[in-house]
Amino acid sequence: MSIINYASREIQFKIVYYGPALCGKTTNLGYIHQRINPQNRGDLVSLATAADRTLFFDFLPLNALVIKGFVTKFQLYTVPGQVIYNATRQLVLRSVDGMVFVADSQWEKMEENVESFKNLEDNLAKQNMSLDDIPYVLQYNKRDLPNIAPVNYLDYVLNNRKKRVQSFEVVSSTGQNVFATLNAVSQILLHKFSKQSDAGRPAAPGAAKPGQQHVVPEQQRSVA
Amino acid sequence: MNAIPVLTIDDVATLDGVLADFLKKAEAELTVVIDRGGNVISQYGDMTVMDVTIIAALAAGSFAATRELARRIGEVEFNALYHQGNGSHIFMNSVDEETIMITVFGPRTTVGLVRFYSTGTAQQVALLLKSLQKGNHGFSFDASDITAAPIFADSAPPAA
Repeated sequence: MSIINYASREIQFKIVYYGPALCGKTTNLGYIHQRINPQNRGDLVSLATAADRTLFFDFLPLNALVIKGFVTKFQLYTVPGQVIYNATRQLVLRSVDGMVFVADSQWEKMEENVESFKNLEDNLAKQNMSLDDIPYVLQYNKRDLPNIAPVNYLDYVLNNRKKRVQSFEVVSSTGQNVFATLNAVSQILLHKFSKQSDAGRPAAPGAAKPGQQHVVPEQQRSVA
Repeated sequence: MNAIPVLTIDDVATLDGVLADFLKKAEAELTVVIDRGGNVISQYGDMTVMDVTIIAALAAGSFAATRELARRIGEVEFNALYHQGNGSHIFMNSVDEETIMITVFGPRTTVGLVRFYSTGTAQQVALLLKSLQKGNHGFSFDASDITAAPIFADSAPPAA
């Protein structure tokens, strides 16, 4: 839930990284924490098991640009990807403003990707929310591995809702497109917020940058 | 994001007054009002020693995590939680369905005193939050106010 605080002149947003187990959600936050200007971030908090598997969530607070004198604060969360932790995922999704769905590009993980995406839709529905209302982008991670599905196929199985969204080819271990993903979801979020904050004005244009998105033309979507 | 709560300067001043009065009476160090998603709504007290944002995220998680435990003994949730340390302690209590109040305190006071005063304070905070303006908040910006440049920059870590 975004909150506008006139006294501290802050706007807060919550972004959740969602996806199947071991798809690289924590690696995304780790890279962002490592590479962003330390003045613009807090500590990275990881509630993980001894084997570095996320048990509850990872959390990274970021400060960003100033809009009309208001500082925007983004709070990044990951969810535990393992199937058994669904109750925890529901807790972390509470009051979410924006989402990054991280998919593992390897062929053998496709079923888990689809299952996790369905689980996300179900968990949002339980909180009377829907992906139709929440700004989100897709991240196709591990593009450096040999056994990966083509982007067309990933779009076919994951980006097949009525409204297509931006997707990114990412290698979170090296940081490739990690920031592009974060910037895209943040921009979409702010643009949505700007429309809400000023419903009387013309709708804002999308924030997509040419070359950053993989929107598959309609005729290519028949890949099975 | 359908209804965005707005804390006006007056709202914050009123909240600060309620929280300051509570801290004084309970002799606690810090109190933070958060939503159950982990967002900080208001804070008052000594904030120099800890990152309130992180405290809020962890406290929201801690509070939510015990909900299932409460259900096992026939409760909807625990209304209050107490984490006892050696010198510093945390007391958390439910304000309303959307909000939690966290109090950090040390050896100057007792959990009983904090618990006693926090109950009344939570009721006052709940009333105030209920009256918060939602939507049509006056603060507006459009796409041209958002920079086209990337919001977050990937920069190499500073040299050691």
